Amino acid sequence: MVAFLVRRIFQMFVVTIVAALLSYGLLYLVPGGPVDALLAERQNSGQDRINQADIQRVQQRFDLDVYLPFRFTRWLIGWPSGPLFGSVGADWAIGCQTPGQVRLVYPDGTFELVEEGCADYLTLAELEGRRVSRGVFFGDFGVSQVILRDRPVSDLIATRLPYTLSLMGASILLAILIGVPIGIYSAVKQYSRFDYTMTTIAFIGSSLPSFVFGIFAILIFSVLAQRAGLPFLPPGDAVGVRDYTIPWIGTVQAGSFLDRFLRFLMPVSVLTFINIAGWSRFVRGSMLEVLQQDYVRTARAKGVREQVVITKHALRNSLIPFVTLLAGVLAALFGGALITESVFNWPGLGRLFIDALGRNDYNVVMALLFINVVLLLIGILITDILYTIVDPRIRLG
Amino acid sequence: MSIAFRRAVIVTLLAVLVPILAACGGAAQTEVVRETVVVVQTAEPVRETVVVEQTVVAEPEPSAPVTGGAFTTPHPILSDINVRQAIAYCTNRPELIASVYPFLDEEQQAGLLMDTFIPKSHWAVNNDVTTYPFDPEQGQALLDEAGWTGSPTRSNADGDLLALSFTTTNAQFRQTWSAVFIQQMAACGIQVIPTYAPGSWWFGSSTGLSRRDFELGAFAWVGQTDPAGRTLYACNQIPTPENNWEGQNYMGWCNERASQAIVAANNTLDRDERIRQYAIVQEEFANDMVSLPVFNRLEAEAASNRIQGYIADPTEYYTANIQEWTLTDGDTVVLGFTQEPATLWSLIESAAVQRTAAFLLSYPFATEYSYDYQAKGQTELSTIESGLATNEDIEVTAGDIIWNIDGEAVELAPGVTVVDANGETITYESGTVTLKQLVATYNFVEGQVWEDGEPLKQADFELAYSINCDPDSGAVSFATCNSIAEIDFSSDTSYTVTYLPGVQWPTYFLAPIGAYPSHQEVSDGRLLADVPASEWSSLPEIVEQPLSNGPFILESWEKGQSMTFRANPNFFLGEPEIKTVVVKFIADTNQAVAQLLTGEVDVLGSETLGAGPEVETVLQAGAAGDIQAFTIASSTWEHIDFNLNIR
Repeated sequence: MVAFLVRRIFQMFVVTIVAALLSYGLLYLVPGGPVDALLAERQNSGQDRINQADIQRVQQRFDLDVYLPFRFTRWLIGWPSGPLFGSVGADWAIGCQTPGQVRLVYPDGTFELVEEGCADYLTLAELEGRRVSRGVFFGDFGVSQVILRDRPVSDLIATRLPYTLSLMGASILLAILIGVPIGIYSAVKQYSRFDYTMTTIAFIGSSLPSFVFGIFAILIFSVLAQRAGLPFLPPGDAVGVRDYTIPWIGTVQAGSFLDRFLRFLMPVSVLTFINIAGWSRFVRGSMLEVLQQDYVRTARAKGVREQVVITKHALRNSLIPFVTLLAGVLAALFGGALITESVFNWPGLGRLFIDALGRNDYNVVMALLFINVVLLLIGILITDILYTIVDPRIRLG
Repeated sequence: MSIAFRRAVIVTLLAVLVPILAACGGAAQTEVVRETVVVVQTAEPVRETVVVEQTVVAEPEPSAPVTGGAFTTPHPILSDINVRQAIAYCTNRPELIASVYPFLDEEQQAGLLMDTFIPKSHWAVNNDVTTYPFDPEQGQALLDEAGWTGSPTRSNADGDLLALSFTTTNAQFRQTWSAVFIQQMAACGIQVIPTYAPGSWWFGSSTGLSRRDFELGAFAWVGQTDPAGRTLYACNQIPTPENNWEGQNYMGWCNERASQAIVAANNTLDRDERIRQYAIVQEEFANDMVSLPVFNRLEAEAASNRIQGYIADPTEYYTANIQEWTLTDGDTVVLGFTQEPATLWSLIESAAVQRTAAFLLSYPFATEYSYDYQAKGQTELSTIESGLATNEDIEVTAGDIIWNIDGEAVELAPGVTVVDANGETITYESGTVTLKQLVATYNFVEGQVWEDGEPLKQADFELAYSINCDPDSGAVSFATCNSIAEIDFSSDTSYTVTYLPGVQWPTYFLAPIGAYPSHQEVSDGRLLADVPASEWSSLPEIVEQPLSNGPFILESWEKGQSMTFRANPNFFLGEPEIKTVVVKFIADTNQAVAQLLTGEVDVLGSETLGAGPEVETVLQAGAAGDIQAFTIASSTWEHIDFNLNIR
């Protein structure tokens, strides 16, 4: 077991680095970015025309003038931040501040200017004094570059984390509490009216995207309900900013428990419904497979009561594959629901991630991706260990 | 197993596999007759290293494009003015507008039509230009005249089809009106082949539009209070490989009269003269039909019926007059922002949400309603006509610091290009040269105070100048700072700026430097005036809780959710009637509209409401009287550029 854990932790370390490297590289390969956004401002620009010095300032702020491998290590471990050991390699080029230009002169006399090479290299000495985090490996995610400019990413995450944990925690818990029994009952009562109903609902839940559910829920339970003079739910947010009156309930004070609860209902219901749809089908399939096993037939043949057959012989074995699904729960708890949070304006990490992607806040995006990778790997490790508990036949080693 | 044996096995396998793989490629090829071809353009070019200017994006000398270079071959179809005008006549623009804004009535749709590159309500518009109303007969006659005949697709005497590629983004909005445009062209016998490219390619810094990789290209420009336009329409602003694709005259339009006029319009401070020069450019622009203005985009804003005094305007943010708003019921207003401001420090952030929030915390020196300027915090605009500014001739000689044509402060030396006092672009060689020198005095309304009751004073303006012009502040552009030769802070309500010789900012009458509360003590006990500029972008007293001199005070900021502002009792124009303003951050437009309709939000600006299908919902609610809905002809206008050259 110890050897297994040591090996797995080493593997996790390697996978984390590779995942971080790939996501970091891909993020910067995406077309667009702060310099393109700045260049777009040059359209018809007058007084504040952007020049090369302005571009360089933006590149410095985002570390875009540092070659990608060094940019990555600066993000990962906060290195390099200047000459090595104080003076070694002060003139080593680790980036390019101004791209070189080459004039290609064709035999017919025409020519064109193309960017090639570098006209002004960035040296280690020039990095000295430039702001750099201690590195994500040491728990420093740096500062937000756009969303809350120049303030720590960890502060930004801390403000959103409670909302995501509450939303995702409640929906996952509810989905397990409701989805697993539904799946089991559907399997036990295969082809019954209940099974058909649940199968239909599960297909709808799995097929329709969450934003469709979200928009319909808002339309029905908020907008139309309010217009019809019926009790309604607030369309979004985690907390209200002013009091409101709901028919039959009365005035709801902004920020009160009732206000928060009412706003919590719709997003958590949508997420729960979607999770139930997927998980109940999974449990049903798994349970059906187990119910057809010889040992279940043997138990029944021995005259064991059906309830005991289901709960003792079939249920435990059918839940083994279900444990694998839970590997992603930890990451999902943290990652939030990207679309649902946006649709309901829920101030969680999912919405933050989408916002950060759209606004080129690289440090925020990478922090969230990195934490997700680590949590997913921890989730997989826990799943592997859980496997040995739920299935005694499995030995780690 | 020996290495030699392994190699033998690999070679054998390759010998077997390669022919098999080759055979999988398709049928056997017919024997090819090989001829030697002399390829001129692809011969290895001579490489010359170019010295890159360290501080300035190279701008070509004002001259016609390089003769014989790339993009100097006239486009076989679009270089013919008859064809371009025919396309304009064959385009039924009201129908294009109706395709994307079917919910507008005819009058509203007509309000979006444009005939030049300047919006109809702009001070520089020339309404006396050639127009191209929908007239397919006229269009077809022009095509016949140009030698394009036949149907369904016209062709010329050589049998070439009248077919053009049409490139734009894959945004649904553009695909919708483009589809109608393609049908309209087909009706005139012009085949249009669309390419709906990703915006990242079409607007990429080294792809699509910037490389003039199109025949007909559709996109939008954003109109401004000051029309500028030199980079769009001057002859020396045509992007080519020779000038490293500098400039935004993607059409390749070089009309000497228009080019001189657009340069002149941007080198004079006399509004009447500017109007005259812009009129020339618009006249030539319409005559040559090098770019077909399609329509102004529609913007919509919405406000609760409780709010009175709300102004929806294409060039000013709706909060610019928030201190004048009144409520028929209650004392709280909730504004919906599509995005959270990154910071409340206006120097380092220019997003619309930041500007909209900033109006709550500061009283503007001037506003920009209806494509013009109005003094607010300034006693009046510091124009030459008002006597607050002068623009005198001054002689400069080698060694003097001047403002060159690239927009940077340089020492005058042989080779430096400047615009002289006559508006001529000249390259300095020796001796003296006469330039214009602008001196403006900015006077501010007396009585302005910070929220703590401390009046604005000279030290506050001095602090703003030193911080805003500090390279460590985090600001992107320092053009204004660099253009200042001297600044004289003469009193608590006035300062005078002497600009470098050659500086001719069209908006010189607006005060370039604001004020910061120099007396404010920050959390560690230092005075704000003692905090270095490099720390300001992360200083909570600046970016999260700035001292207000505007109508409201920031009370709290729940990150990711909302900001709450209270009325400023010390606001120098009197405490606003609205006591609380809450700004909510709602990224999703559907959610924002739902909150508007359920009364959770009172105001949605155009940046939040967007231009999607939600607009129709809001307009319907406005028509039903549930809310106030405003439609605005946006300053953003769609157009189709004709690329006059091929590479």
